[in-house]
Amino acid sequence: MAKSDDCVHILQGLLVFGNVVIGMCGIALTAECIYFVSDPHGLYPLLKTTENGDIYAAAWIGIFVGLALFALSILGIIGVIKASRTLLLVYIILMLITFAFEMASCITAATHQDSFTPELFLKQMLERYQKSEPANNSDNEVTKTWDELMIQNHCCGVLGPSDWQEYTSAFRRTHSDADYPWPRMCCALDAQRLPVNLDGCKLGVPGYYNSNGCYDAISGPVSTHAWGVAWFGFAILCWTFCVLLGTMFYWSGIEY
Amino acid sequence: SARTMLPLLLLLLPAAHGIAQLRYKPALTQDPRLEGLTTASTFVVDQPHCVFKDYGDAEIWLVVALDQATSSFNNSAGPGTSETAFQSFPNPVRAYMTLNATLGSYPCPKPAGDIRVLRVGSETSCAQDETRPTCNGPLPGPGPYRVKFLALEGSVPVAETEWSAKIMLRTAKPPSSITTTGSGHSAGMIAITTILSILFAILLAGLMAMLVFCGSDSCGGSSTFSKPEPVSVRRYNTHHVYDQPAARL
Repeated sequence: MAKSDDCVHILQGLLVFGNVVIGMCGIALTAECIYFVSDPHGLYPLLKTTENGDIYAAAWIGIFVGLALFALSILGIIGVIKASRTLLLVYIILMLITFAFEMASCITAATHQDSFTPELFLKQMLERYQKSEPANNSDNEVTKTWDELMIQNHCCGVLGPSDWQEYTSAFRRTHSDADYPWPRMCCALDAQRLPVNLDGCKLGVPGYYNSNGCYDAISGPVSTHAWGVAWFGFAILCWTFCVLLGTMFYWSGIEY
Repeated sequence: SARTMLPLLLLLLPAAHGIAQLRYKPALTQDPRLEGLTTASTFVVDQPHCVFKDYGDAEIWLVVALDQATSSFNNSAGPGTSETAFQSFPNPVRAYMTLNATLGSYPCPKPAGDIRVLRVGSETSCAQDETRPTCNGPLPGPGPYRVKFLALEGSVPVAETEWSAKIMLRTAKPPSSITTTGSGHSAGMIAITTILSILFAILLAGLMAMLVFCGSDSCGGSSTFSKPEPVSVRRYNTHHVYDQPAARL
């Protein structure tokens, strides 16, 4: 009897501990996903148009899953301490639903992480940047996003200023190659956002133009975002799996 | 007649000497490295410092020609005429003259620290302007082109450099040629999908087993996890003493 009591108490303690961890991880997941959704780097317009806006859907799901995990963990703790079959059954079923949603979010984030290549952004930039007749508002947003990106990060194009030379583009249709080998935002700018030395920029003299590509500035935050949602979610789900198995075992042992 | 003969003699004198062939080959600028060395319609060559130092009074012109037209170029064709107008290049004009300067623009020796280059094709404002035949307008195609410098005194050519090597400009590809098919699925994504699917399947199976086998409380006897009772009082009857008033009768 005493040994069985010890086993019960140990199992209860483990389950309570497991649920506490789930609750805290749920809060952390919510906080992380709110950070990503708030788009601190201003990259959402670029991702939206590459049909990769799903990575933001994954983050939105993560917010609600995190809150659900926190609420359910409290329910779980109460159910384990009271050894109530009904409460624990409700807990298990709701947890499984939450598990399914979080699984979808992780897999979406991991899949889209794979599709981020420089070529994807290059094609989008060439086709939409400074499009003279913007088809819809998203083209204007793409232009604005690229301008801010190039100014803030002192970069030009996706792989470099030569992107504008190697490929024709919507920009090239309205701006002659001799006057604008690359956009003015690629030049070293002063406080009024005017080129410091326009001739130096057009020639491509080191120091008067941005010679790096912007791909690192885009892929860095986006990769962190995708990995944060996918792998942190995966870790939480592995832990949740163990706690749920333990809860099922505990449930089947509760006398009615 | 001697009066008319003199200017004629003076005019013929330089021609009689011939055009000096300077051993200088114009080339694309190698130092410093320029990103815009060649674009789709412009290219950059070095300025000819210390090349024309014997011709202080001359005007130095840049001749830009199609590669096939270098041998047929006539040095006496004057700049700014219909034979050398930029606006008619490349058809029917096969070589045009532009970017004129005096020796003062090309000081010798070259001042250190300055970037002194000639950007061929930078003037877009006069590209269609027929009144500016010496316009340094953007080149109409990828080439190949060759350039040389020609020094004119008055309208008489006195010195020329060699023709440069062939200069090819960049050709732009359409963005539709970029392949965005992606690199396939990474190992991480496959791992996440597989493992999560297996875990979810196990949980569902566990739930089914739980409900089927233990739903009708066939699991959980009194010997396993008992509910905590708020008060635990046990009464022990050590003797079989019962209150049996009816049995005494």
